Amino acid sequence: MQEITGLFKIAEILRAILGRFLSDPQLVDICMSLINIGSIFTIISLTAVVLVYAERKVSAFMQRRSGPNRVGPGGTLQTVADMVKLMAKEDIMPAGADKWMWMLAPILLFIPAAAVFVVFPFDNKAIFADLNIGVFYFIAMSSQSVLPFLMAGWASNNKYSLVGGMRTVAQMLSYEVPMVLSILGIVMLAGSMRMSTIVAAQQHTWFILLQPIAFVVYVITATAEINRAPFDLVEGESEIVAGPFTEYTGMRWALFFLAEYANLLAVSVIATTLFLGGWNGPWLPGWVWFFLKVGGMVFLFMWFRWTFPRLRIDQLMSFGWKVLLPLALLNIIVTGIGMYIYEFFS
Amino acid sequence: MLKTETFTLNMGPQHPSTHGVLQVVLELDGETVVQAIPNMGYLHRGIEKLAESRTYAQFIPYTDRLDYVSSMGNNLGYCQTVEKMMDIKVPERAEYLRIIMTELNRIASHLIFMGSLAIDLGASTGMMFGFRSRERILDLFDMVCGARQTYTYIRFGGVSADIPSEFIPALERFLTDFPAMLDEYHRLLTGNEILYHRLKNTGVISAQRAVEIGLTGPALRASGVDYDIRKVEPYGIYDRFDFSVPLGQVGDCWDRYTIRMEEMKQSAGIVAQALSQMPEGTVMASVPKVVKPPAGEVYHSIENPRGELGYYIVSNGGTNPYRLHVRRPSFINLQVLNEACQGLLIGDVVAILATLDSLMGEVDC
Amino acid sequence: MVGKGLLEGMRVTLKAFFSKKETLQYPEIKLTMPERFRGGELELDNQKCIACGLCARACPNHVIELTTGTDEQKKRHLTSYIYHSGLCLYCNYCIEACPTNAICWDKNYENARFFKDELDVDCLAIAKQKSATIVDAAPADQPNAEQEDALNKEGER
Ligand code: SF4
Ligand code: SF4
Repeated sequence: MQEITGLFKIAEILRAILGRFLSDPQLVDICMSLINIGSIFTIISLTAVVLVYAERKVSAFMQRRSGPNRVGPGGTLQTVADMVKLMAKEDIMPAGADKWMWMLAPILLFIPAAAVFVVFPFDNKAIFADLNIGVFYFIAMSSQSVLPFLMAGWASNNKYSLVGGMRTVAQMLSYEVPMVLSILGIVMLAGSMRMSTIVAAQQHTWFILLQPIAFVVYVITATAEINRAPFDLVEGESEIVAGPFTEYTGMRWALFFLAEYANLLAVSVIATTLFLGGWNGPWLPGWVWFFLKVGGMVFLFMWFRWTFPRLRIDQLMSFGWKVLLPLALLNIIVTGIGMYIYEFFS
Repeated sequence: MLKTETFTLNMGPQHPSTHGVLQVVLELDGETVVQAIPNMGYLHRGIEKLAESRTYAQFIPYTDRLDYVSSMGNNLGYCQTVEKMMDIKVPERAEYLRIIMTELNRIASHLIFMGSLAIDLGASTGMMFGFRSRERILDLFDMVCGARQTYTYIRFGGVSADIPSEFIPALERFLTDFPAMLDEYHRLLTGNEILYHRLKNTGVISAQRAVEIGLTGPALRASGVDYDIRKVEPYGIYDRFDFSVPLGQVGDCWDRYTIRMEEMKQSAGIVAQALSQMPEGTVMASVPKVVKPPAGEVYHSIENPRGELGYYIVSNGGTNPYRLHVRRPSFINLQVLNEACQGLLIGDVVAILATLDSLMGEVDC
Repeated sequence: MVGKGLLEGMRVTLKAFFSKKETLQYPEIKLTMPERFRGGELELDNQKCIACGLCARACPNHVIELTTGTDEQKKRHLTSYIYHSGLCLYCNYCIEACPTNAICWDKNYENARFFKDELDVDCLAIAKQKSATIVDAAPADQPNAEQEDALNKEGER
């Protein structure tokens, strides 16, 4: 067993403190679970606030503006102010909307976005549930987000929303496939779907060096998965106003927004875990490395968004099926052959 | 039996990318456009009718409000028309100033085109860059005439005021910086593969169709028709300058885009030439206090950034125009929208609208 | 190579990311308007105004509404001068028409008002108030040569 460090140490200390007050070890476990869940939600909402601020700053800087700079030092509280504003907004439901579906959609979208955080290894051992099918769980959960989009699009009783909803389904389904295939290469190399094993396997070489094509495919498909430019057709504001979100106001809209940024964080975390060696890194503690790498990935996604124009729906589909999918398949074949040769010689 | 049917989507008049208040009634089969009918008139102010109750000179400020991103051209067209009626000779220096201003305005207008195309295709940074550079030109105009958008600078017989002393250095600074700016846009947008694939072969308008409909300006030249009024019937002193008219081959969005980018370069060249040739002198001919053109009618057109801007004035010898009609290139160019969009996708409608570059202030006169 | 243009674009935005920002922190820092800036509201100098009404005549949009009266010495003077800024085209015609340079722009570009009737400015009242507070106000701008001639002629008459 490795030495106990970082976040896990904090958890151990917490556990010890709790142990003093609670006699039953089972109660301690339940308390720890609650704390973990609480911290995951805190991380999600905190990062959403931070990411929105970061996005605005990055976009501003790339356009040579200075971005939010009024509320709080350097504008850091701008998102908080916006949240307050959104909460105070009137909740308007379109006439003729499918009431329950319409109300459920943002909540349902948020659930998978939050649920994927369960398997993220923030640091050595700092993982809520180290499932042996961690990667699979992530894929399964994140593909759930198709449905709420479609629900929102259908239930809003608005043609823009409907077109947006339909686009989501087409886009997410067709980008799911190459994404899964690109991750498959990693799973083959690591020989496991357990997140901690995958990270541990990258102690010496990051998988981005062994699987550069998979990384490129993953980054592209991930951008499409989370509907960000240049794949933001779902909400492409110059075409279909705001897609499925068109009819949402106030807090409901904010939930979509929150989920969007939670998803951005999620794919960055997965990229870090699978390709960039997770918490591995010299000198600094693991979680610092982890967040640095995640930050780098988030910046990359933002950089894409503020540079590229949007693709057209047919180009998007043919790019997914005709370029990315064969590329991902090829990558798997090459990986397989490579592994075989490697084993043959050693 | 599964049955499919088309549905109608009202794009606009409140829509992020219809550049003002245009409504496009889209008939869609899924995402494919069956019909795209532009529905105009949301910005109608009755400017042509207003002219009949204004004196000739009083109408100049209203021309600013037609194509409000190239007001210098509007002023110029109107003033030259009245000058043509009254046989007014414009002093040399004023002619040069007019050229400098209208060509700068062409650059400003094309920068807006580039920016709005970029944001319609989802690249908002391109828009910010375009608008940022346009500010430099607006600063120059502000210096000369005190307004950034509605200039009323060009008047009958010349221009309203001579340039201030700080203008020429500022303009020279702009001209030296401009190639680098243009290069930046080319690297950000023109070289971008996504942009290329979005624009290439979408919204093709054949040369024959373009002529039949009466397209003018970059939209026509993109189809390969060599028609630029600055060359065909040089008005003012355009025959003194050395510039080329870029032409497209296919008539698709890409050609319309690249042509405008090239035109900006040519315009900058014209400004530089005009600046070096400009003589000293007065900027205003002596014009009667009350402008009363002789009875009759006259048509005069100039090459505005969006195409052939023509003024047709009927005078009955009074102080007000008897009838005034403006041939608005935006209005006529927009008529091709339906044909260009058929069979394409929603995303293409946006690209075609942006590359036709119709400005609602001019469409709805 | 496919993707070269994309990378080039990313280079442009990255460069912008690290370069100087162009934003002006507006309420704290304000642009100085150029000499010829046309904007804000009309500022009337009732001492200079000869109540000729040329400004109102030149205006294309009937923005200026003025009434005149004659005093004991049979001299015409203004009795009211209303500027409807909501109708103004900012074309400068009124100022160019004025023979005595009695009107100019106040160059204040923060023209938002809460109510529509606040857009109608009673320039004469403002001018009177001003001259009451500043008794020996120096003339703000000199009439130009041509207009000076006109003035002299006016005086000779
Ligand atoms: S600027 Fe033009 S519109 Fe405004 S008051 Fe003067 S003349 Fe009238
Ligand atoms: S034109 Fe000048 S002098 Fe005549 S009324 Fe108007 S402000 Fe007064």
